[in-house]
Amino acid sequence: MSIIDLTSMGEPQSDQRKELNDRLTKLRDEISDYCFQCAKCTSGCEAHKLLELEPHKIVALLKRGLLNELVNADVIWTCMTCQKCRERCPQRVAPIEILFALKNMAVASGKQIPGKYTAMLQSILSMGLIQDIQQITTRTNKTAKREELGLPPISKPADVAKFQAGIMKIAMEKV
Amino acid sequence: MKKKYALFPGCLMPTEQYAYELSIRETLPILDIELVDVEGFSCCGEPMKSVNQLLTLYLSARNLAIAEKHHLDLFVPCAMCHLALTECQHILTENPAMKDRINGMLSAEGLQYTEKRHLVHTVDLLHDEIGIQKIKDHVKKPLNGLKIAAHYGCHILRPSEIGRPDDSENPQKIEALLKALGAEPMNYPQKLDCCGAPLLANLPESALTKTGQKLQAIQEQGIQGLVDVCPWCHKMFDSRQAKAGETVAAKLDVPVVYLTQLLGVALGIPEEKLGLDLNLSPVEKLQLGAAK
Repeated sequence: MSIIDLTSMGEPQSDQRKELNDRLTKLRDEISDYCFQCAKCTSGCEAHKLLELEPHKIVALLKRGLLNELVNADVIWTCMTCQKCRERCPQRVAPIEILFALKNMAVASGKQIPGKYTAMLQSILSMGLIQDIQQITTRTNKTAKREELGLPPISKPADVAKFQAGIMKIAMEKV
Repeated sequence: MKKKYALFPGCLMPTEQYAYELSIRETLPILDIELVDVEGFSCCGEPMKSVNQLLTLYLSARNLAIAEKHHLDLFVPCAMCHLALTECQHILTENPAMKDRINGMLSAEGLQYTEKRHLVHTVDLLHDEIGIQKIKDHVKKPLNGLKIAAHYGCHILRPSEIGRPDDSENPQKIEALLKALGAEPMNYPQKLDCCGAPLLANLPESALTKTGQKLQAIQEQGIQGLVDVCPWCHKMFDSRQAKAGETVAAKLDVPVVYLTQLLGVALGIPEEKLGLDLNLSPVEKLQLGAAK
């Protein structure tokens, strides 16, 4: 079991891509009916000022069918997932959901997964959590670890093989 | 009457944000909440949403199914986990076909998701389940008008259509709780600004800039400190405060505490039991030991 099974960095995951494509097509159909480009999403966007994400433009580009361009654009990875665009849209369009679908599509198409996502995924596969117990430093520069602080053992999957078997079904199953 | 909840720890709190867990375990039993430790939980899936949303849904459902096996409701102190689990319940209720599909995968571990469980976060557990009056009755060392601001965290406020612990645009529950503890909650224009944490994975510099901008605004307004209720937000505002300051070229020294730590001080619990020595921001400036 590896990340290659779960994403598509080995061979293209046509089933997963097909499903994502259907999802994006559905989102696009909904947008065509409702979004009138008021840009309220962009006015509240947490990633707008800092990283120039403009959710209303993402919506407009999807509406025009520029799917490949969007999937390959770095800007889709600047979303801070604050949910303000979804919350505030007067037409109940959810740009954040479009961005999640686009990022999923980028991954399923074999594009490199950016940053630490690969390491986090690998950690989930090997122990169930995004990271193992860390040794921390206190304000007075002493070190401390979970058990030394009197905290009980950590909750995590007991049988990792079975845990992986469940996740494996996501990579294997036919849609 | 004790209320019983399974504690859903998630990833970040039990692996590095120990002060949150320590203060939760110290304070809630005093307020008649029984926390049950359940074996076998995993990541809620939220951090993987950008990579594979089906994986997120599967991991959330898996954790809910474990709680179901133990017939327990869930106390979820992390805002990210709380959103993932709430959203999962929402999707699986609205979409029976997806529920069947997820259950097909869950069978690998002999698990099954059948129905919604009651999920609470720190804010609604304290404000709605325990209640302001009961907390007031237990306060032994009021916080002496400490001028402190609340940071809620995006994920416990939105999207409101699936039900969140507080109002999406004008949340007031933390303020009400701070008042009950004898503090003076401060309003500020940046209250709903994001902490930046979701970008840590792929754009850490930008994530820290976001953190720095918010802390700088708080510092300039003469607010004494910041209260948060999410291990991700706290990691940014407290653990990474020095680095966040570098990104905005400012010397930041804003004390940042978990709400449960302040609660513990007000309940008369000694500071060391609340993990206050683990905060990396200058919490000594709050002079919590002097509160009476």
